[in-house]
Amino acid sequence: MDFNYSDMQRMLLDSAERYLGDRFTLEHRRAARSEASGVDAEAWAAFAELGWLALTIPEAQGGLGGSVEDMAVLSTALGARLVVEPFASTAVLGAHIYARSEGDRSAELAAIAGGEARVALAHDEPGERYAYAAPRRTRVTREGNRLVLNGQKMLAADAPGAGTFLVTATIEGEAGTAIVAVDAQAAGVTASPYPLLDGSRAADIAFDQVALDVEAVIIAPARGQAVLAEALDRATISLLAQAVGSMESCLDVCSAYVKERQQFGQPIGKFQSLQHIMADMFVATHQARSGLYMALAASEAEPAARQRAVSLASITVKEASQLVSRQGLQLHGGYGMTDEYEISHHFRRLMVIEKLFGDIDFHIRRVAAS
Amino acid sequence: MDLRPDESLVAFREEVRRAIAEDLPADMEARQRAFGGIQSEIGDTLAWTRIMARRGWTVPQWPVEHGGLGWSPMQLFVFQEEQDAAYAPTMSWAGSHMVGPVIYTFGSDEQKARFLPAIRNGEYIWAQGFSEPGNGSDLANLRTQAVLDGDKYIVNGQKIWTSTAYASEWGFFLVRTDPTVKPQRGISFLLIDMKSPGITVRQIPMINDDCELCEVFLDNVEVPAENLVGEPGAGWTYAKFLLDHERTTSSFIFFNKREVQRAKDIAVAEGLARDPVIQARIARLEAEVTALEWSVLRTLAGEDYRYDDTAVASVLKVTGSRLQHAITELQTDLLGAKATRLFAVEADRRDPAPLWPEHVPGRVGAALGQRAATIFGGTLQVQKNIIAKLAFGL
Repeated sequence: MDFNYSDMQRMLLDSAERYLGDRFTLEHRRAARSEASGVDAEAWAAFAELGWLALTIPEAQGGLGGSVEDMAVLSTALGARLVVEPFASTAVLGAHIYARSEGDRSAELAAIAGGEARVALAHDEPGERYAYAAPRRTRVTREGNRLVLNGQKMLAADAPGAGTFLVTATIEGEAGTAIVAVDAQAAGVTASPYPLLDGSRAADIAFDQVALDVEAVIIAPARGQAVLAEALDRATISLLAQAVGSMESCLDVCSAYVKERQQFGQPIGKFQSLQHIMADMFVATHQARSGLYMALAASEAEPAARQRAVSLASITVKEASQLVSRQGLQLHGGYGMTDEYEISHHFRRLMVIEKLFGDIDFHIRRVAAS
Repeated sequence: MDLRPDESLVAFREEVRRAIAEDLPADMEARQRAFGGIQSEIGDTLAWTRIMARRGWTVPQWPVEHGGLGWSPMQLFVFQEEQDAAYAPTMSWAGSHMVGPVIYTFGSDEQKARFLPAIRNGEYIWAQGFSEPGNGSDLANLRTQAVLDGDKYIVNGQKIWTSTAYASEWGFFLVRTDPTVKPQRGISFLLIDMKSPGITVRQIPMINDDCELCEVFLDNVEVPAENLVGEPGAGWTYAKFLLDHERTTSSFIFFNKREVQRAKDIAVAEGLARDPVIQARIARLEAEVTALEWSVLRTLAGEDYRYDDTAVASVLKVTGSRLQHAITELQTDLLGAKATRLFAVEADRRDPAPLWPEHVPGRVGAALGQRAATIFGGTLQVQKNIIAKLAFGL
C-alpha cells in the first residue's frame, strides 16, 4: 500500500490549490452568492482548461481517464476552498451517467469536458426521503414515435446552472427506472430555483407534456437503478472528499484563530478546554480521511460491497464533519456566527454535504440492511 | 418535601391561556411560529408589548410600586410558559428584564419617571451595549471610554452584538469612566440616546441570513451626565445584578419544551413518528427537558441546597443550551434533504413554496441561530469553569 500522492496527483493538487487559493477567497465567495445560477462562469471555464471536467471521463470517450482517487484528490482541494460550483453534479455524477450510456454520447461528454455543458440530476419527488430505489411517479409515455414526459421533481441540486436535466422516470410499459436527458429550456419544463444554505442553487422542476426524442433515454429502465446507484456513490465520494478538505481548512482556520484571539490576558488557545476541543477536531478529521480512503479502495468493487463501503465512509465523514464544524464555530465565539468569518461558511457547506444524496441516518440504515 | 403541583396555579394558567388566545393576532402567531427568533421581530415585539399593556401585564415581575403585579415566581413561570407555548412574541426583553430593573433599583427619580412608563408601555426598543470586539467572555476588560466634561460625558469606543441597535431609541452602555483603578471598579452604567450625533450602527450579516445584531461605533458622543445610572464606577455591580436577575431564564426551558413538541409534530408530518431511531432520540430529549424543568422548579421554589447558587445557575445554562442544540439538530435531521434550503423570511412570505410542507420554512434558520446558545451569556466553557470553581473550589 502507498498512501502518498503520485506525481500526477501532486501536480493536480498543487495546481488546484494555487488556482483556487487565488480566486476562491472568502470575499469572492460572499460576492458570488448573488449569481442566480450558482456558478462562477469564468472559473468554470478555467476548470475546463485545467482538465478537471475531463478528469473522470474515460480516455476512449475523449476524457483524461483519471481514477476515482484522482477525482477525490481534486475534490479535497475544492472542499478546502468552499467551491460550490457543480463539479460533483456535472463532472462526476453526470459524466458517469453519460459514460455508461448504451449509445454514443461522446458529443455530450466533450461538452462537459470543455465546460460548455452542465447537467443536474432530477430525482427526488415530493414527499420523498432519499428514495433512490423507489419507482418514479415521473412518467414517460409514448405518443406515436415521440416520447412525452410528465412529473414533478424537487430539490434538484445545481439545476439552476445546468442546461440539461438528467431525469429519473418510469417508462410506460417497462419495468425499472430510466434516466432521460431533458433540455432545461424545452417547452413544458418549469424550474423554480432557490438558494441552498451554502450559496449553491437547487430547483423544483415541473415537467408538463414535455416532448422528447427517443435518444433522450440515455439509460434504459433495465439498467437505470444500477447506473444511478454507481453515479450517486461516485458523487458521494466527491462530496466526502470535499468535506475532508473543508474540515482540514477548519483546523487551519481555528488553530490560527485561537492563537490570535486574546481573552483574560492570553491567547484563548492557552486554555486547556479549547486545546481539547482542537484535539477532538483533529482526531475526527484524521478518521474522516481514513474513511474516505476505505471507500476509494472499494469504489470499483461489486455493488453491494461498494455501497456498504461508501455508506460506512459517509457515516464516519459526515459525523466528523458535524463535530468539526460545530466545535469550530464554538471556538470562534460570536464571530463564528457571522457571515464575515470563514468558519460559518464551512459550517453551512458541511451541513449541506451531510444532507445531500443521503444523510447520516440514511447511511446507517443502508449499512444495517447490508 | 411536597412535590405536588400548586392547585391554585391551574386556574391562573387557564386565565393566562385564555387571555393570550384572545389577544394574539393570527398573523403574528403564524410569523412567530415559522420565523420567531430568527429575523426582524421588532414590529411584533412592540405590538405584543402594547397589546399586553392593555391588561397591565408587561412587567409583572417588577415591584408593585413600579407596575409589577406581585405574582409569585411560579405564576411568572406559568405566564412566560404560556406565552412561549402559544408562539407569542417575546416582550421587549432588554427594557423589561435588563435596564428596567437597574433603573428602578439604582436610578434617580427623574430616570424612573422618564424611562419606566415607556418600558411598561412598549414605546420603543432598548439596545444593550456591553460586549466589545476584543471583550466577549472577558467583559470586565471593556475599553469604551466616557470622560466627564462639565455636565456631560464624551464617549468613544465600539460595542458589538447589540441586538436591533439600528431600530433602538435608547441604549444602556457599560463604559470606562476611570482608567486608573482595577478594571471592574472603573466601569459605569450610562443611558445613551441612540440618535445622538457620533453614533454609527452597522448591522452584522449572520450565518442564518439574519442581521439583527449590530456593531455600534461611538465617536465623541455627548451624553448628559444625568444619564449615568447610580454611582460612577458601580456599573460592573449593576451589570452583574442585571445578569443575575433571572437565574432560570438561561435554561430556555420554555423554548426547549415547545421545540421538543414541535420535533414530535415534524416527525409525524415526515412519517417518522414510529421509527425506532427517531423515537429513541426524541425520548432522550424529552427525558432531559423534563429533568431540566424540575431543576428550574427547584431554583424557583428556593431550595436550600448544599452547592453554590451560581454553580446551579450554570447547570441550567449548560443543560438548556445543549438541549437548544440537540433539539434543533433533531428538527433539522427530520427534514432530510429539505434542510438544505435557505428560506429568506421576506421572500418566503411573498412567495410561499407550495410543494414544501409548512413545517419546513424557518426551522434550519432557527437551528443555525441556536448555535449561539453555547456562546452568549457566558460560553459553555466559561460555565464549566464556574461550576469547577464554585461547586468544588477548583
